Amino acid sequence: MFEKIISRRSVARVYLVLASVITLGVLCPLTTPAQVPARLYWKTLSGGNAVPLMVTAANGNTNPFDPALVVTPGANVDATMALVGYVRTFSLFGRGATAAALVPVGRISGEVDVAGQRINQTARGFGDPTLEVCVNIIGPPAQMNLVDVLRYEPGFSLDLIADLAVPIGEYDTSRALNLGQNRWYGRLGTPIVWQIGPWVPGRRTTLEFLPGVWLFGDNNEYVGQTLSTDPMFQVDAHLTRDFTERLWGALDGVWYKGGKASVDGVEGEELNNVALGFTLGYQINDNLGLTFGYKSTIKDSEPGALQMDGFMVSLVAGWHPIVEGARRLKGEE
Amino acid sequence: MQNMESSRGCLEVATESGVRPSTGRAVRRSGILNRLLTALGVIGIATSFVVPAAADTPRRPNIVIILGDDMGYADMGSFGSEIKTPNLDALANEGVRFTDFYTHASCSPTRSILLSGVDTHLNGLGNMDEWTAPNQVGLDGYEGYLNNRVTTLPQLLKDVGYHTYMVGKWHMGKAPDQIPAARGFERDFSLLDGAASYWDMTNFTAAAPQTVFTEDGRYLTRLPDDYYATKTYTDKLIGFIDANHGDGKPFFAYVAHQAPHDPYHLPRDWRNRHVGEYDRGWDAVRQARLNRQIELGITPAGTELAERMWFLPDPVLLAPATRAFLGKKMELYAGMMENLDFHVGRLIDHLKEIGEYENTIFIVFGDNGAEGTDLFKMIAGTAGSRDFLFAAANWSQTHPNAWGDPGSYVAYGPMWAQVSMTPFSQYKGWLAEGGIRNALVVSGPAVKRQKGSINKGLMHVADIMPTLLEWGGAQYPKTYQGRELPSLLGKSWVPVLEGKAESPRTADDVLAWEVFGNRAVRRGDWKLRWEYKSFGKGDWELFNLATDPGERKDLAAEHPDKLREMVALWDEYVRTNHVVLPSRSPFEVMEDQLPPRVPDDRGYPPLTGKTQFIPPKDMMADPK
Repeated sequence: MFEKIISRRSVARVYLVLASVITLGVLCPLTTPAQVPARLYWKTLSGGNAVPLMVTAANGNTNPFDPALVVTPGANVDATMALVGYVRTFSLFGRGATAAALVPVGRISGEVDVAGQRINQTARGFGDPTLEVCVNIIGPPAQMNLVDVLRYEPGFSLDLIADLAVPIGEYDTSRALNLGQNRWYGRLGTPIVWQIGPWVPGRRTTLEFLPGVWLFGDNNEYVGQTLSTDPMFQVDAHLTRDFTERLWGALDGVWYKGGKASVDGVEGEELNNVALGFTLGYQINDNLGLTFGYKSTIKDSEPGALQMDGFMVSLVAGWHPIVEGARRLKGEE
Repeated sequence: MQNMESSRGCLEVATESGVRPSTGRAVRRSGILNRLLTALGVIGIATSFVVPAAADTPRRPNIVIILGDDMGYADMGSFGSEIKTPNLDALANEGVRFTDFYTHASCSPTRSILLSGVDTHLNGLGNMDEWTAPNQVGLDGYEGYLNNRVTTLPQLLKDVGYHTYMVGKWHMGKAPDQIPAARGFERDFSLLDGAASYWDMTNFTAAAPQTVFTEDGRYLTRLPDDYYATKTYTDKLIGFIDANHGDGKPFFAYVAHQAPHDPYHLPRDWRNRHVGEYDRGWDAVRQARLNRQIELGITPAGTELAERMWFLPDPVLLAPATRAFLGKKMELYAGMMENLDFHVGRLIDHLKEIGEYENTIFIVFGDNGAEGTDLFKMIAGTAGSRDFLFAAANWSQTHPNAWGDPGSYVAYGPMWAQVSMTPFSQYKGWLAEGGIRNALVVSGPAVKRQKGSINKGLMHVADIMPTLLEWGGAQYPKTYQGRELPSLLGKSWVPVLEGKAESPRTADDVLAWEVFGNRAVRRGDWKLRWEYKSFGKGDWELFNLATDPGERKDLAAEHPDKLREMVALWDEYVRTNHVVLPSRSPFEVMEDQLPPRVPDDRGYPPLTGKTQFIPPKDMMADPK
C-alpha cells in the first residue's frame, strides 16, 4: 500500500542507488603496478563483497608479475595473467576499510639474460598471493548502512593502504623469468580521491592519485645469485569522468621512480619512467562491472628504459546481503 | 452588498484624517480633482473613480505583497516551523499574524481573487485554465485567465499615483491583453506559466516545451544570465524600486515568488543544510510543529492533529533508507523556504538602505495549501507517452544527489504536505482546511496592533483589494472603462489592523469556495464541505472548526438542520456567482487510484508494532 503513494519509482530508486554502488568502489585493490585502474578506492557499504577477475596481456622488457619492474634491456617478454581474489568491505574505528586477497595466475615467456647469455624462457602457474588492507583516513565516515550510502560523496578522501605479497608463488631457482618472486615485498600508499563537481551518476568527475612506495626483500635464489632492489616510488594518476550513469572513462598515468636492482652487488639502472593510458568502464548491472584499459610507457627508446604496454580487461562481481535480499523481495524491480 | 460595505469603509476612513492623515488627504484631494474634471466636461468619458495628484505629501505607504507559491500554513518559523525563516519571522514580530486566513485551494484562482477582489467564477478563474471542464468551455467566468469584466488592484493603485511592480509567477493569462503589463503593472518580470524550472525556460510537456516570461510587457526570448528564479525576481524588483526612487510616489510591489513550488530547484549551497533532520518522519515533525504552534499561540492548546492521510504509512514502519530518501525531499523543501526567506531579507535590507522600509506595508502569505499531489507523475507518469519522452529528455535527473539541479523534478509528496499544513487535513487542490487555510503576516506603518500579536479574525484573500485600495487612497469603482464591475468579495482589514475590530467578519458572514468540483462553505465556526471520494465522501460533510480544526468528525448526520442551512448558503453562492460545477475533474478517478479509506486509529494494526518478547532470564534454557 505504501508504494501507492511513496511510489514504486521512489522505492525502486532507493534500491537502485544502493545496489549500483556495491560494485563500483569495493573492488579489487590490485597490486599489479602496470595496471592500477581508476576508481579503485571509492568506498561503499560496509559488509559488501566482491570477486574481481582481471586479465592483462602485457609486453615489454620486464616481467610484469614483478612489481620491481627490473628491466632487461632489449628483452621481449610477453605475459598473459589474471588476478582473481576476494574483497570485503568493513568498518575500522568508524572509517571505511577493505581487505583483499588476490592471486595472480598466468603465463609468461620471453628473452632473458642469464650468465651473459640471452635465452628464451617460459613460466606458467600461480604467482605470489597478495594481501591488501585499505583504511580511509580523510573523508566521509564508513558507510555502515544504506542511509550512509545514500549520502556518500567522497569529497576529498585519503586512504592508507598496505600491501604484502607472500612469496609462495611458483618459482624456479634456475630461471630468471618466474611468476613468483621468491621474496617478500609490499607497498605503502595513500590513495586519494578528489571529487570534482556533483556526485551524480552520469556526471561524476574525479581526480585520483595513488602515491606509494614499494619495498622489496632480497631474492637469494635468483639463478644462483642475490637480487636486491631499492625502494621504488610510484604515483598513479587518473582523471575520471562518467559518460552516462553506467559508462565512464579515465585518462591514466603512472610514474615510476627508483627501484634500482642489483644482482650480487652489480647495480642496474634506476627507473624513471612514465606510462600513459586510458580506461573505459561499464556497469553491466547492479552486480557486475566491466573495465577495459590500455597503458604504455612513453619516451622509452633508451636502452635501459622501461618498455611495457598492456591491455587489461576486468570483470568484478559485487554483492551485499541487504541489497540482494531487497532485490529478491521486489522481484528484480 | 459587500461592495457597499467596502465603500462605506473607505468613507469612514476618509473622515478619520487624524488617524490616517495620508489616506484622508488623498481622498479630499480626489474630490477637488473630480470637480475639476467635471468642469472640463470629461467626466462622462472618464472612469467613475477618483485620481489624486502624483506627488504624495505626506507619503502614502508603499505596499509589498510577498506570495509564497504552495507555501504551507506551518512553514514559517513564526507559525511553528523548524525551518529557519528569520526575515519572514521578523516581519511577523513587527506586525500581526493571522491564523484564520483563507485563500483558494489552488494558485491561479487565489491570484485572481487577490488582484481582482472578485470571486473566481466571475473573474475568469472559475476553474484553472489547465483543468477547464468541457461544460465550462466558453462560459463567462471560466475563461482561464483574468477576464476583462474585472479590473485589477494594480490598475486602480496606478490610477491613483502608485508605481506598480510585479515579479514572479503570473498564471492568469498569456495573451498580450492578459499579461501583467496589460493588467496594471507598470514594470514586471513575470513567469506566465503556473510552474517552471527555476534555472531556465524548460517547461513540462512536449506540447508546451518552453515556459513564457515577460519583462515590462515584452515576451522574453531568453532569460538573463545567472538566472535563478528567486534571486532574479528579487534583483529585478530592487531595480524597479531604485529606478523610480525619489520621485515621491509610493509603490505597490506584487512579489509572486515561485518558491517553494516544486520542482525544488535550489543552488547547491542551500541543499544540504538539514541533512538527516527529517529522517524521523512526517508524524514526528508534524507533532513538533503542532507543539510549537501551541507554544506560540497560533493554535489553541488541546488541538488534535488531523488524521494522517489513510494511504500514508506510519514512518516508523519504513526502513531508515526509505525515510532518508523521502526525508531528503523535505530537506530540499526546507532549503527552498530558507532561500526564499534569504531573498525576502535582501529586499527588506534594501528598503532599509534606501529609507523606505518604515513606510512599507508587507503582506505575506501562501497562495493555497501545500502541494501533495505528484504533478510530475500526472504529466509524465506513463511510460511510452509523449510527455514521458519529453521528461526523459529534460526532466530525468532523478538521482538524489541531482535533486535541485536543472532537469531534476522533486516534490515532497502528501506526507510532507501534511506537515506543511499542520494541524490541518489534506492539502492543495482540496477544500479541507489544509487546502485553503494559510498563514498571513501583515506588518508596516498601517498596523496599530501590538507588534508580534496574533489575531484569529476570519480573513480572506479577497479582503486584500479593499484594504489596499483604502490604504492607497483609491476607491473601487462601479464601472471601469465603460464596463460595470462585479462587487468586491472581501472586506477591508483596516479596522482590524488598527485594533478597532477583531475580525472583518461577523459570525453571519459567509465564505464559499469551489474548484475542480470540490465545494465548501464557512459561516461562523461551521464548515460545509463536498469533496470527491476518497478525500471526501462524494457528499456533503459538516464540521465544527472551533472544536475540530482537523475536520476529523463529520457532523452532518448529527446536525441535519445545520446541514440544510449550510447547503442553502451554498445554493445561494452558486446562484450569485455563476458557479458551474465541472463535468470533469482532476480528482474524478481518485477513488480508484487510492487504497480504500480506513480510519487512522493509532497503533492499528498491532502486528507491526509488537516488539520482541524477552522471557525472564531465570526461565531461559538451552535445549535438552
